[in-house]
Amino acid sequence: MKHLLMWNPVAQPRETVLYSVEYQGEYESLYMSHIWIPSSQCSPTNGLECDVTDDVTATVPYNFRVRAMLGSQTSAWSTLEHPFNRNSTVLVAPRMEVTEHGLHLVVKLEDLGPQFEFLVVYWRKEPGATEHVKVVKSGNTPVHLETMEPGAMYCVKAQAWVKAIGRHSTFSQIQCVDMQGESLPL
Amino acid sequence: EFRFGPCRVEGVVLPELWEAFWAVKNTVQAQDDITSVRLLKAQVLQNVSDAESCYLVHSLLKFYLNTVFKNYHSKIAKVKILKSFSSLANNFIDIVSKLQPSKDKDMLSISESAHRRFMLFRRAFKQMDTEVALVKAFGEVDILLTWMQKFYQL
Repeated sequence: MKHLLMWNPVAQPRETVLYSVEYQGEYESLYMSHIWIPSSQCSPTNGLECDVTDDVTATVPYNFRVRAMLGSQTSAWSTLEHPFNRNSTVLVAPRMEVTEHGLHLVVKLEDLGPQFEFLVVYWRKEPGATEHVKVVKSGNTPVHLETMEPGAMYCVKAQAWVKAIGRHSTFSQIQCVDMQGESLPL
Repeated sequence: EFRFGPCRVEGVVLPELWEAFWAVKNTVQAQDDITSVRLLKAQVLQNVSDAESCYLVHSLLKFYLNTVFKNYHSKIAKVKILKSFSSLANNFIDIVSKLQPSKDKDMLSISESAHRRFMLFRRAFKQMDTEVALVKAFGEVDILLTWMQKFYQL
């Protein structure tokens, strides 16, 4: 899960403008609204975006603000119009690689970080096929799904799941494998 | 998710809370000179029934938000401590907002039992010098998290 804060540049020809990002969670805005915390990654930065994933560590609304700095001059703060809550995160379908090792149907999922789990659905491609489901706790490790029968075709799809925000992605594109050939995206 | 009896809390990653507290543990507990006193004593947290647990955790977390964190905040000088403190406080707010302790009359004796436990803690807190009590209570967040962990399911 990655959360990026982005902003428009301050036009200042031939000068390097720096930016500083600060945040406050619901606690700070409720109990001590004057308190803002410097972002872990961007205090300061010369980029136009900031990875605030490590700052957003609770599923509550967070306010963000950014200001420009040029030498001793600093701009006013620009504050995010609406607080951000990580439970509004839109997860993209995970990338996966489906292969057959001998008789074994194997899937390898993209490593999206420690907060991700995956729901893998697989079936033998035939009329009235039964779908099987396997929960994969982390990416980047090949997982054995099924021992295949020669000549049969097997298909796989997967979705990502983040427990911390109670959200899952759409399913990935279906990939099918038959005993003789390579995986065939459908 | 947390399951405090009938109360369920999803979307909180307990390891994130532990990570936040470990980052400040040494700094905070080093400020606590009175090691002979414990606010979250055994009578407060031991043998808590599932039914009581929702009432008790609700009272304890609200106290931490409204009293301990609110007043401890001014002692924080380092940004690193501030970040961990913010992570803990905001996760406590998330938990409290999702807890719905039942107000049914037939739960009265259970809620009163939980309240007696909470009052043991609160009385011990009030009996100490405020500054000392704040440091001690914040330093005992690990005791609180250890107890909460019993109700956490992966």
